[in-house]
Amino acid sequence: MINIRATSAAFKQQARHFFADPQWVIPSLVAPFTFTIVVLMLFPAVDEPVVLYAVLGGGILGMWGNTLYASGWSVSFDRMNGTLESLLITPTPMVQVVAGRAVWNTLIGLTNAAAVFVVAELAFGTELRLEDPALFFLALAATLLSLATVGLMLSAMFVMTRSSTVLMQILELPIYFISGAMIPVDHLPEAIRPFSYALAPTWGVDAMRQAAGIQGTTVMGLGTGADLLIVAAITSVYLAIALYLFRRMEARARADGSLGRW
Amino acid sequence: MTRASGPAIVVDELTKVYANGGRKRTGAARPAVDGISFSVEQGKIYGLLGPNGAGKTTTIKMLSTLLLPTAGTATVLGLDVSSDHMEIRKHINLVSGGERGLYYRITGKQNLQFFSDLYMVPRRARDENVARLLERVGLSDAADKRVEDYSRGMKQRLHIARALVNDPEVLFLDEPTIGLDPEIARDLRDMIRRMADEQKTVILTTHYMKEAEELCGTIGIISKGKIVASGPPSMLKDLVRDKSIIEVEALNVDEGSIDGLRATEGVQEVVAVKNGDRSILRVQVGSGSDMIPAIVSRLGSCRIVRVSNEEPTLEDAYLSLVSRNDKH
Repeated sequence: MINIRATSAAFKQQARHFFADPQWVIPSLVAPFTFTIVVLMLFPAVDEPVVLYAVLGGGILGMWGNTLYASGWSVSFDRMNGTLESLLITPTPMVQVVAGRAVWNTLIGLTNAAAVFVVAELAFGTELRLEDPALFFLALAATLLSLATVGLMLSAMFVMTRSSTVLMQILELPIYFISGAMIPVDHLPEAIRPFSYALAPTWGVDAMRQAAGIQGTTVMGLGTGADLLIVAAITSVYLAIALYLFRRMEARARADGSLGRW
Repeated sequence: MTRASGPAIVVDELTKVYANGGRKRTGAARPAVDGISFSVEQGKIYGLLGPNGAGKTTTIKMLSTLLLPTAGTATVLGLDVSSDHMEIRKHINLVSGGERGLYYRITGKQNLQFFSDLYMVPRRARDENVARLLERVGLSDAADKRVEDYSRGMKQRLHIARALVNDPEVLFLDEPTIGLDPEIARDLRDMIRRMADEQKTVILTTHYMKEAEELCGTIGIISKGKIVASGPPSMLKDLVRDKSIIEVEALNVDEGSIDGLRATEGVQEVVAVKNGDRSILRVQVGSGSDMIPAIVSRLGSCRIVRVSNEEPTLEDAYLSLVSRNDKH
């Protein structure tokens, strides 16, 4: 049974923890700022599309970094606090709690993406104009949703292992590159591109870039509409995987009682 | 739907063997819980007593649907713990001892609101209920303080409040008073008693015999995963009625003297409580005051202050039953 109250309570609870715990400032604000500023300083004289590409990339990095770290921590945090059993004993499936947290984590990524734009405008005088703002925000919403679902999937994966911190480190940088956030996908080696195509954010970012009017970087030459359909399809697969993993996680927890251990 | 009548909890040959982890890696898996059976009537407090690792927490986890039994069956409010877990969860709650299990960076009130939402407590009733629970556990003044600023006793009281957010019919309390100072432990015991008065069924595990004797209508003594005896505290004490307890108060008692006493023929069990250089030894024997000379002689190097012949307590019964099972 879907308990929207639980999902919204988890969203609110995650927000309270975010503001109560300043460590999230690093992946949420400092890291994407640093990346964007470095790119803008390295290429001060390049033309506008590349600058916009970099700024957009910085925003995506912020959203991805936030999703990865916050999701990795989502259930591990309960394990560490000893609250996992208090959650599992409620009639609300764990996935609904984590979903609320994942949505908050992604929304925080959105605010830092917006902050990257502001820094680029104010500190570097970069002119950022969106060719089709409505389509851009639709693509942004789709990308956010796909990232939230990635976060949900990662939360379940991370809780099956005690090595979530190592996994987070391993996953962070490759996604920056293979999702096309920093480098256009068609500049990547051919062998890596299938991994890029399997990532929903790759298509979401591509749709955002097209809607912003950045030319010549389209993944597989598809249009925005096709990109958005692919985002929806891959996100649905992620969601199915996440639901399956959470069911397995809860079944395993009941079978061996290992989840309460930290 | 939950059952209309009959015991609130029925446990039949319940067994848990962990598939991996802990001691099971070193050889054949020994059941953590080994075919236990008991039942608890609604509104009663059932105590599970046993040494560390005896299977108390595993039993509670199976009954509270956190663990799947390997064999046997258990029903809570007429629902099967293996298959009806989502329905059972609406009607039960669990308190574990210790400081963990709360969100420290948010306030006590926010903790209770969050868990109320997970139990789908209607929104309007939620805030009234949270305020009432905070008042009941004496935390109204600290409602808006972060839990990280709570003392241990306050955290434990918040645990109790958290476990009551869904007004459960069955409560599992796993060593709820562990590490608490006597005053707070007494307050918690009063709360537990009130829960039973409200017709809530309580399963309590504890290491404190007096607590179990004071609260529980029925006690099951569990050792090595098996229930070795069960019944009202007075009945358990009757099991060692044929034994005598010689209590010796002495100064400068060393471990060697205690070991020597344990090795004395006719001595069945020795429990020593030390306070500085003063010790109280409770010596369980089969033959009453006849053993006093032998005991005094064994403690020859110590200064004996007092020797008395005592009635067996629940602790004596517990120690006798557990040590008997350990020898098998």
